[in-house]
Amino acid sequence: MKKRYVIIGLLASSLASVGQPSNSTYKKKKLSTTSVELVMSYYTQDNEHSAVTGGIGTEDLQVYATQLAMDVRRDSSNAFHFDAGVDVISSASTDNIDFVISSASKVDLRTHINAGYSRRLKDTRTTVGLISGFSIESDFFSVAHGLSLHHVNASQSRELSIALQTYLDDLRWGRLHDGKPEELIYPVELRDTVWFDHYRRSSYSVEFGFYQVINRRMSLGIYPGITYQSGLLSTPFHRVYFNDESLRVENLPGRRLKLPIGIQLNTFLGGRWILRSYYRFYWDNFGINAHTLNLETSLKVTPMFTASTFFRLHEQHGSDYFRPYKDHDPSEVYYTSDYDLSSLTTFKSGVTIRYAPYRRMGRSTFEALEFRYAFYSRSDGLKAHMITLFLGYSFDKKLKE
Amino acid sequence: MRSYIVIGFLLIVSLSCESVKPYQRVYLNDYEMKPGQPGSRKFEESVQAYREGSSGGGSSKTSGGCGCN
Repeated sequence: MKKRYVIIGLLASSLASVGQPSNSTYKKKKLSTTSVELVMSYYTQDNEHSAVTGGIGTEDLQVYATQLAMDVRRDSSNAFHFDAGVDVISSASTDNIDFVISSASKVDLRTHINAGYSRRLKDTRTTVGLISGFSIESDFFSVAHGLSLHHVNASQSRELSIALQTYLDDLRWGRLHDGKPEELIYPVELRDTVWFDHYRRSSYSVEFGFYQVINRRMSLGIYPGITYQSGLLSTPFHRVYFNDESLRVENLPGRRLKLPIGIQLNTFLGGRWILRSYYRFYWDNFGINAHTLNLETSLKVTPMFTASTFFRLHEQHGSDYFRPYKDHDPSEVYYTSDYDLSSLTTFKSGVTIRYAPYRRMGRSTFEALEFRYAFYSRSDGLKAHMITLFLGYSFDKKLKE
Repeated sequence: MRSYIVIGFLLIVSLSCESVKPYQRVYLNDYEMKPGQPGSRKFEESVQAYREGSSGGGSSKTSGGCGCN
């Protein structure tokens, strides 16, 4: 009898109870997020195989590079991208184009700017992107255009992408000298001959991307690509010395087809270790084929600190057109003494320290600070050091309803 | 023969894929698990493209630019 009164009492009280008020002050906020990345790098190298002096002579080079990249995500569909950078290049070998006068290219500037827009198509998981930009240095002007398509499946375990890219280059020297292009620059003692009657280079590339989640700790990426280049593929101030003591400007075929394929497998081992492994096979019609292996191990010391070591090995069978200093036969049609195109083995190793606090200060978030050092050596004797500092920030902005 | 081994490996890998729920992606979403060459790695990719005759395959640099120094 008593129990019945308790039940009736509880039911009666439930009629008087009030849920969440309908005039709640909670409102869904629309946020625009801007992420900013600053990369500052220093590169130094030295060796005695400069292509400017025909495969002998100093290759001493220093590059100070700074790049700022911004990604503005307006909402879940629209995003804008902007990046700009300046490289200050100090090159001893380019000073040997004319031996006497210290050329403008001894200390050269490379400036590059890119802007892009991407949009997720309505009611799909497909994003379309466009990007355009240019880069300029004293002997080079390059205009770039790109179109990309990216699709993610419903469970977000598979991603497919395709990127089309074109680079339209002008190799005439002088833009940074007096503002207008003048002519191709040849080595000083070879300027009595017009070696090339064209100065443009075009590059068209298609890059595919296939990303697959294998399990909670492993993902696989496959990246095949095709690049086709045409026009002036020789560098007009590279000398080539022949075995009969004659001297000419480097001459390479006017068409080049490159076929690379890269495979990346990333694995989270235990709770702290990450292994990034990458392999690439490369082939081109200059006769180059190459295998590249890159292994990077990261240890999450704390949730904020990550320390990584990496090791990269690159084995390259050189171009059919390469011969060292005074080794070319004058009857050859195509010839170069540029060691970048020779048979070689390169080795790179180094460390990365990453501090990622994701600390919020008002509307901004300090995402990460990264320091990276790499030592690079090539089997022909080239030694290089690379130091990179990376800074990541993001900003939120409330949008009007 | 080598290509058959690679295709076989990729088939085994793709068949062994398991479904991962959004709340199970804590390891996959980690920064170090990002595909491609994120953060400070980009600069080195461009240097390597100049100092070696090969480029592309997921690296950020495929063509364009001088690199003639």
